[in-house]
Amino acid sequence: MSALRRLRPDWLSPSAAAAFLVTIGLLHALPHVFQLSPYDHNQITLAFIFLAAALAWNWIGGFAGQVSFGHAAMFGVGGFVAARIAQAQLVPFWLTWLVGGVAAGAYGLAWGHPTLRLRGPYFSIATIGVGEATRLVATYWQGFTGGASGLALPIDAGLKHALYWYALYFLALVAIGSYAIRNSRVGLGLMSIKSDVEAAADVGVPVVFSQDLVLFLSSAVVGVAGGIYASYFSFIEPTDMFGFDRSISFVLMAVIGGVGTVFGPALGAVVFVLLRLYLIATYPHLYLGLYGALLVLVVLFEPLGISGLIFRVARRLRAQRSAT
Amino acid sequence: MRKRRCGGVPLVMAAFLLAATGCKQSTPEKSQASAAAVPEKILIGATLPLTGSEARIGGFYKEGYDLAFEEANKPGGVLVGGKRIPVALQLLDDTSTQATAVSLADRLINVDKVSFLLGTYSTALVQAQAGVPEQNRVPYVNGGGAATEIFRQGYKYNFGLLAPVELLADAIMRWIDVQQKAGKLPKPAVIAVLWENTSHGKDFRKGVSQFAAAHPGDYKIAVDESFELNAKDFSALLNAVKAAKADMVLADAHLPDYITMQRQYVTAGMCNKVLSYGARGSEKQAADGLGQKNVNYVLSAVWWNYQLGSKGLNKHFVEAFRAKYNRQPEWYQALGYETARVLFVAIEQANSVDREAVRAKLAAMDIESILPGGRLTFPADKGQQAHYPFVVQQNMPDGSSPIVYPADVANSPGVAPNPDCKG
Amino acid sequence: MARGLELLLSAILLAGLYATMAYGLGLIFGVLRIVNLNHGGTIMAGAYLGWWFHEHAKIDPYLSLPMVAAFSFGVGVIIYRGLVRHLPRGAAGGAQSLLLLFGVWLVLRNAAYFWFTGNEQVIRTEYSTTAVVILGSALSVNRLIVFAIAALLLVGLHLLLTRTYFGKAVRAVAQNADSCTLAGVHVEGIYTLTFGIGSALAGIAGLLLGTLFTFNPSFGGAELLKSFVIVVLGGLGSVPGTAIAALILAMVEVFAILVLPAYLTGAVGFVLLVLVLIFRPGGLFGHRVLG
Repeated sequence: MSALRRLRPDWLSPSAAAAFLVTIGLLHALPHVFQLSPYDHNQITLAFIFLAAALAWNWIGGFAGQVSFGHAAMFGVGGFVAARIAQAQLVPFWLTWLVGGVAAGAYGLAWGHPTLRLRGPYFSIATIGVGEATRLVATYWQGFTGGASGLALPIDAGLKHALYWYALYFLALVAIGSYAIRNSRVGLGLMSIKSDVEAAADVGVPVVFSQDLVLFLSSAVVGVAGGIYASYFSFIEPTDMFGFDRSISFVLMAVIGGVGTVFGPALGAVVFVLLRLYLIATYPHLYLGLYGALLVLVVLFEPLGISGLIFRVARRLRAQRSAT
Repeated sequence: MRKRRCGGVPLVMAAFLLAATGCKQSTPEKSQASAAAVPEKILIGATLPLTGSEARIGGFYKEGYDLAFEEANKPGGVLVGGKRIPVALQLLDDTSTQATAVSLADRLINVDKVSFLLGTYSTALVQAQAGVPEQNRVPYVNGGGAATEIFRQGYKYNFGLLAPVELLADAIMRWIDVQQKAGKLPKPAVIAVLWENTSHGKDFRKGVSQFAAAHPGDYKIAVDESFELNAKDFSALLNAVKAAKADMVLADAHLPDYITMQRQYVTAGMCNKVLSYGARGSEKQAADGLGQKNVNYVLSAVWWNYQLGSKGLNKHFVEAFRAKYNRQPEWYQALGYETARVLFVAIEQANSVDREAVRAKLAAMDIESILPGGRLTFPADKGQQAHYPFVVQQNMPDGSSPIVYPADVANSPGVAPNPDCKG
Repeated sequence: MARGLELLLSAILLAGLYATMAYGLGLIFGVLRIVNLNHGGTIMAGAYLGWWFHEHAKIDPYLSLPMVAAFSFGVGVIIYRGLVRHLPRGAAGGAQSLLLLFGVWLVLRNAAYFWFTGNEQVIRTEYSTTAVVILGSALSVNRLIVFAIAALLLVGLHLLLTRTYFGKAVRAVAQNADSCTLAGVHVEGIYTLTFGIGSALAGIAGLLLGTLFTFNPSFGGAELLKSFVIVVLGGLGSVPGTAIAALILAMVEVFAILVLPAYLTGAVGFVLLVLVLIFRPGGLFGHRVLG
């Protein structure tokens, strides 16, 4: 027993691990237990993809405090690399995702290393530049992205249904990563960088390495998400993958859910994917305004987003309990 | 000191939120109507870009759909099994994004339980969306996707009414060729191709360059540049065209870019022997926005034109549209209308709402149509994409825009070179 | 040679357009350190307002400029007092303000779709295609007017910020808001007015853009992104810097066609943005912003 305890990493609490395993188990069994219709099944698959991407965005945007408006660049790179390899039909699809992820990670590191020195809004604006420049070059580069016509992937019957579980386990890995990064030395370092980078450097935090590492990982995960997205739709095109709307969506998901919290962005992704679609379907003429109003309300009344709401409720419950 | 993290809590909540929103939408399984059962009404689903980058055209397609549905329901609906069943359109806004178009198609089929699906507009959206009805074996009739790639995937349930954009460019080139053979244009003629960087623009450019390659020595492409949708400044591009001393400028653009580019073109004092904006040219909005004299002699090739409406089905459509909307229909509304109409015809031909039966009738479709050529089929060797000649028109100073090609429907030979250009 | 001159003149006129777009964003960014994602929405509103005046009251768009400016100012003040004011200042408020203003932009877009539909709108006057020949090049009257207005705004803003008490207060607040409170400057008032002026500038830009191009409710996004490039190139808090940055960007974009395919000239600005940020983060004329 004590040997096991020595193996367990410093940051892993048994209760968290248990809760996590139960959740994953539930989600794994969900389609069978609830007899999900194909629509719900597909929507949840899509939600998983974006949950993972939002969590990964949060590593650099929330933990490190470097808000990126250009993550669509990596999403697109990952997606198109994966799609190109898939078209060649040489390797299994999950390998295309991995290659896409590595390519996206490398790309993120390439532009990120020199720009991560910038702080606050300057880094954000640099990411806008990266995102837009990447989009324009990608749309022009027909050899890579197929240009404006995009790329069609070979149709794999049954893959879309199976993607639910692939996306789920991908999400599980990313969630573990989120938890691990936040609670490890790297995460601690990031927190200190976020509050005062000079002091952090003075204390001995490896500023450049930490940020580079996290941006690489974040980019790679978002790239894999792009690859799975490509497999899901069997067709991708540059404006959709690289567009500013795509980049903004990652920011929105994280901020609605709670930027900087460990799992907050996951909740934000749920809102973004499921609620938004519900609004579009039910209030077609007003969904933009309703969605905008929702954002405004979230920001004004609970800056930590949905996570903030949950924490508030939890605190109140705990206070009540200790008061009695 | 290690803090206890209740990080698991939000994830659990996420799981239940997912489950909750996921399950909320499920409705009890309704069995697909068999050939024998006849429903109370036929629910047909569609998404269109009513907001976003394609909102303008999405709105036009909606007008076409609405007119077709209204007409079908006037006698009580479509005739199935001896009874008139009303048809209802369940239309959702896909916001011009592919993910939404796909998700909403999924929703229409699996939650709203529509019997059939009509297409959305713009090639990228149709291409993304087509997979969903194919997987669910729902006939998908679309008038909004022109790229041949969509129809090369071997889909059986996808039927396209929009002829490929390469043929659009080809039609314009053919008219130009006629003018060149008559000595009205120089040989070789120098062409500047300016195309919007979208699937439409790419195919347009391909059509032009293919034609030029097939007629060596007659045409020289001196400028071949793409531009971004909604680009604002074309001064550098037009400057390049001027520097190349082009005889003909063949552009392919959406309406805003057409107006913007033409405004800058005219202001810069440019005038070429032949000018075309692809599928754009004769829009009343352009004439209003630019002034009639600034759109004179602009060529365009469209999938349909109201001047085909002198008799028969076309006359009926044009009059019905004018009665309902108080203006002249353009090809968008015509395509929307015809797309819905052909689905109704297929349902009546199959005499049932069974998806397989209707699909079979669509595959074998051969009916009179408002489209140029007068007939509509979905040839299997073209992936079930309708192919028919484009109509080339040219704006005239009197405000009309007569058809100049093909000869059998032309009401004017057209003018080349542009008489307004000095020298 | 003639071609080069023509390109140069086009670039100069384009710079006027770019500068007008960027002033509003730059001012708000420089003083409040807020990235105004509603900049695009206000531009769109300005265009529609100008169109509305022209369609229904037959007022020439350039004459309706003061009204559009006043209306946009009012909208800006309302947005600030009603919403932005409540956000925490500094780094914590960063992501929040982005989200908040993005939400406002969505609401404005919905309103536009609701009132005007998604169709393209055009403001067409008799002189929309009239050209004046200068140095052998035909230059659009509209573009010349826009350039003139941009120049006037440049001078006006510069004078406002350097010669008036208000301007001094604004610059002081931009440098150090807390000290200003100690010194008795009504910081919140400055913020409110600045946000209002920034919005007014965006509204004016929208009106001017509306006289040149067609627009629909989605208008403003690309302008917003370009404005970022210009503001950063010019350096924080420098109005002349913004104007010069606009000129540089316009030059680069226009002359790039001599070496790049036309489509990629749009990317040049963004690449320039990233390079400037990497090598000279204070912009070409501003101060250091690292660390």
